Amino acid sequence: MKLLSKIKYPLLKLIDISGFKVLDPPVRLMYGEEPEKQVRDILRYMLLPIVFVLACVVVWNVAGPKHKTKSGEVPTPSKVWTAAQDSTRFKNRENEKQAAFLVEGEVREQELARVKAELLKLEESAANLKAQSAEVTLKGQSEMDAKILPVKTRLDELKATLKLAKAARKEELVALADKVSQGSASGESLIALVEQDAAEYEKEKARLKSINDELDAIRDNPPAAVKKAQLDSNKIADEVQHYKKRIDYLTTGNRSMKVESAKEKELTAAAALKTSATGADALKQAKAVVSNRKKATSTLEQEYPRAATIYWQTWRSVATVFVGFVLAAAVAIPLGIMCGLNRIVMACLTPIISIFRPVSPVVWLLIFQIVIGAFFPDPDEHPLFRFMNHDNNPLAFLKTNPAMIFSACTVAMCALWPALVNTALGVSAIDKDHLNVAKVLRLGFWSRLFKIIIPSSLPLMFAGLRISLGVGWMVLIAAEALSSSDGLGKFVWDEYQNGSSQSFANIILACFVVGIIGFALDRFMIVLQRMVSFDDGSSTA
Amino acid sequence: MSFLEIDNVNVGFGPVGSRTEVLENINLSVKEKEFVAVIGFSGSGKSTLMNLLAGLQLPDQGEVRINGEVKSKPGPDRGIMFQNYSLLPWLSVFENIELAVKAVFPKMSKSELEEHIMRYIGMVKLTPARDKKPHELSGGMRQRVSLARTLSLKPEVLLLDEPLSALDALTRSELQDEILKIWDEDKRTVVMITNDVDEAVLMADRIIPLTMSPAATLSDDFVVNMPRPRDRHTLNDHPEFMRLKSEITSYMMGINQESKEGTKDKLVPMPKVTPKDFDPPSAAPKFSHLQEKSMSPTSGS
Amino acid sequence: MGAASLISSPLLMAEQLDVEKDTLKFGFIKLTDCAPIVIAKEKGFFEAEGLQVEVVAQPNWKQLLDNVITGELDGAHMLSGQPIAATIGFGTKAHIVTPYTLDLNGNAITVSNAIWEGMQENDEALQSDTPPHPITADSLKPMVVEAKEDGQKLPMGMVFPVSTHNYEFRYWLAAAGIHPGMYTSTDLKGFTDGDIELSTTPPPQMPATLESGKNVAYCVGEPWNQQAVTKGIGVPVVTNYDIWKNNPEKVFGVTKQWADENPLTLIAVTKALIKAGKWLDETSADGSLVNREEACRILSQPNYVGADFDVIKNSMTGFFYFQKTDKRPMPDFNVFFKYNGTYPHYSDGVWFLTQMRRWGQITEAKSEAWYHETAKSVYLPDVYRKAADMLVAEGALAASDYPSAEYDGYKPATADFIDGVSFDGKQAIKYLNSHKIGNKDPE
Repeated sequence: MKLLSKIKYPLLKLIDISGFKVLDPPVRLMYGEEPEKQVRDILRYMLLPIVFVLACVVVWNVAGPKHKTKSGEVPTPSKVWTAAQDSTRFKNRENEKQAAFLVEGEVREQELARVKAELLKLEESAANLKAQSAEVTLKGQSEMDAKILPVKTRLDELKATLKLAKAARKEELVALADKVSQGSASGESLIALVEQDAAEYEKEKARLKSINDELDAIRDNPPAAVKKAQLDSNKIADEVQHYKKRIDYLTTGNRSMKVESAKEKELTAAAALKTSATGADALKQAKAVVSNRKKATSTLEQEYPRAATIYWQTWRSVATVFVGFVLAAAVAIPLGIMCGLNRIVMACLTPIISIFRPVSPVVWLLIFQIVIGAFFPDPDEHPLFRFMNHDNNPLAFLKTNPAMIFSACTVAMCALWPALVNTALGVSAIDKDHLNVAKVLRLGFWSRLFKIIIPSSLPLMFAGLRISLGVGWMVLIAAEALSSSDGLGKFVWDEYQNGSSQSFANIILACFVVGIIGFALDRFMIVLQRMVSFDDGSSTA
Repeated sequence: MSFLEIDNVNVGFGPVGSRTEVLENINLSVKEKEFVAVIGFSGSGKSTLMNLLAGLQLPDQGEVRINGEVKSKPGPDRGIMFQNYSLLPWLSVFENIELAVKAVFPKMSKSELEEHIMRYIGMVKLTPARDKKPHELSGGMRQRVSLARTLSLKPEVLLLDEPLSALDALTRSELQDEILKIWDEDKRTVVMITNDVDEAVLMADRIIPLTMSPAATLSDDFVVNMPRPRDRHTLNDHPEFMRLKSEITSYMMGINQESKEGTKDKLVPMPKVTPKDFDPPSAAPKFSHLQEKSMSPTSGS
Repeated sequence: MGAASLISSPLLMAEQLDVEKDTLKFGFIKLTDCAPIVIAKEKGFFEAEGLQVEVVAQPNWKQLLDNVITGELDGAHMLSGQPIAATIGFGTKAHIVTPYTLDLNGNAITVSNAIWEGMQENDEALQSDTPPHPITADSLKPMVVEAKEDGQKLPMGMVFPVSTHNYEFRYWLAAAGIHPGMYTSTDLKGFTDGDIELSTTPPPQMPATLESGKNVAYCVGEPWNQQAVTKGIGVPVVTNYDIWKNNPEKVFGVTKQWADENPLTLIAVTKALIKAGKWLDETSADGSLVNREEACRILSQPNYVGADFDVIKNSMTGFFYFQKTDKRPMPDFNVFFKYNGTYPHYSDGVWFLTQMRRWGQITEAKSEAWYHETAKSVYLPDVYRKAADMLVAEGALAASDYPSAEYDGYKPATADFIDGVSFDGKQAIKYLNSHKIGNKDPE
């Protein structure tokens, strides 16, 4: 209890610094401080917003499916949730395969036995489901055929009558035309008849179309049971395939097994070398020994080639935006300080800032691809990538590549401006009194810069950096989509390209992930900003 | 003889022809260890005067000398205490002072530094608040930090630029006493700018009114001939205090009136204030001198 | 299961080459015909050659090619025209070579419902649920003429300027006397003199452009034709199988420099691809494709093609929906190995070169020898042959599965085209001149 009351104010302060003001009333309520006021605040600022968000979800749930688009209907929240679960399952499968690839010795054998046993069970139920699905499909098909038949008959009948009617109208037209040419009928009457014929034809087309639409509607909507049976059968077949792949990774694809086999071959070749009859044979065996020895060592270092999951892509996006952001800050802050200190520098840079600030990230990306691409003629051998992707580097999992650098540079280029402008503003708007202090103390340029100017402009600088990070995050998604640098942007683009029934839901899922990460980044910057701001934080609301 | 001198200084702005003088023909000499108060209305160019003394601004004409040496740059020999404290808000009390001390005494060892700083923090009674940031302190406390910082530089001249004008009356009197006490213990040359007659009379050896800008100038001084330490509680009953106070007030009011009417050539009638029962020998000639002077145009020259 | 039994496992039986580079990165575009590369990875054929391969989806053909050129990718799934165009410098210039053709056929031309109705009106025979095939562009021509008289050129879509789709679409149109437009040194869009306007559209956007009327017809690979049927927005009228029977579609391309630096790796990769192609085309006794369903399931993973399993299955398991009512068996719609399809024939290169010249992508007349030299600088049958020979030695391939050692790289002359014009790869200029529409050169 004592501890609890001790941490009350630190806790409230933490809430304040992190900007989650909403949590303030519940904490105060917990300590019994003005309960009535707190409850009122909770109702107003916590419950109502939650209800509102829920209401939005309900509206989405109801309105979404009503809006048919060219790529299917708008997925409901539950479909998006399913997509999220599927993404997680995909990740878990990658984990399982990776584990299977790496596992060694007895554990491997146990694991193999277990997976095989499970596979047996799975295969059995897969076969059952498949048979069931086939049965249901067949039944569904005959149901549909029964539905289609009368409509189809109607269509055929209509087609036949229309054909007759068309022929009759044609005859009539020919007859009248003859009369006109003989002068026994007026040209106007023929024109009228042609018009009438065209109108009739349009009507016929419309009638045919309505029946065709009816047919399409039936064909497009197979019985729900069929859909479900197919889905279930598909799902389990998918699982079976995954288990088979796991077995692959537990046996022939297993790292330790591959090393084993290379060693075994080396021994065989070494033995053969001793008994080799001809010089050529001896040479061949010796070569085999060397290559298998090399193979065994290189296999030892092999990593499981993981497929990109949304989890990994999120990490990579965050890393890319961070690199871009640091680059932007590294350029923007010194430049901004120079601008703020010296009006000539400011005047020189203003036209450049004004012209380049509005340029679209897409343009920057293309420019960087061309310009920076020249620095990496052979990415595999480039020291930067060798260093980043070295096995011992903890960041190797990010798989740094030129595309990532291009994206990061694009982020930097677009995120540069807010930080630059704000830093310049912060430096130039420094309190005159503070400068007077520096003058009185006869501080040199550098200590004036580091002890007075920079600390004094930090709050504005950080406000700029916060905007920069926000801009960078938005830009990054576009840059990744375009440059095919792995990350959330590429995830979205890939999904768009996939065009599967789940793609739309995945895109909406990505939308939430991007939003939540963006929110988290912004909060992070707010906390930083509050930590460097020396007033009471009111300027960062 | 005089330690700090302002010699025929003019400050103004604008191009030749339509130039506006802020300060005109300023002459001031302050003796060593003398406490001089410059009193003036707000906007009369007090701060410009202070900037001149501190070296933050250069005169267009004339010069500022300390100990006979012409000063054209600010420096720690003239410790200045600003009206709005000028503390660096991102540094704690200790760090604020440390920054200054380190800059002025770069050779001080770490322990010396700490001791030095703590002495001045103690002097202004802020030892418990040494790690507080300025925004956590009250106005009075902030000004004390500022004072400690200024003093810690051991300046030859202490320049106080309306140091107490932003504080409430109680804090103000408290600080006045403290400044006086510290000054008493370690006498230095002080130039204080203020707009408070009571304060000036209480603290200064000599009071010099600054006429209204534009083209403000220093008029003749009032000497405060009261023994130190002065006790604020009994001061109100002191006839010399009363006399000086009313005299200066009337004089200042006159300046104000004059400025409002837009003419400086008009004679200012000074009220004939007769001291009740206090007539120190030196006060009378001074007073008559002032009277005499005030009959002539104040800024005629 | 111990290490000893492992050695007898068929996957590791292969004699591994002492490859120069064992960690590789290949690019692909999300189309079903990337299958051999994906399958070689997923079924462990690359592994068996001692290669650790990562396959990465690319956003578009241009980017894919650029990534191969910059070295970001070691090799990639490419349009057949891409290595040739890059080598002769149409578009991005870089010497790209190919030891392996990934697949044959696999494309179709889809027209919008309105155009289909018009075609039906112009040709009685089409007014059926199952019209006779092949359907030519003859019934389309009146509409093109009519639109042109109204001062309009019908807008149509294809995938990429040097894609097979472009040449096939132009071929189909020109066969019916519709001028598809010429490329010139100043007109890189290929609209000059055209009766229609054929422009590039990314495959995933094809159905949407058809629905919005931005295109009235398009030529693209799967699943984008089947999708038009499912959504009821258009009708596939002809597959490229009908335009040119068993035409080469995609190739596996690497830069010449890469091939020179990693000769053994290239052979190892080719071996794995051959195995993958063979696996994809494996049939049971009754002739049905046994591995296609598994392949579809792998391809439907989001990191590969990612489309719905059902949709991929539709086109890859030997059937094709022309309309909802018109499902036809098309066993050769996707050929991954049969008919010596994966062998890099010089004559394939010559055909693409003649088409590039025909439509003006090659702006000046070239000598007969030039065609053959160029084809030979791009196609690497030697690499294929070395890989295949090794597979035969390992027992993974039959000698009859690929052309014999005497084969000179030119397929026999064939008239298996929709217009019946005969193509003999050895006589490029003669073939060029046998077309009514397009550039002609002195022989």
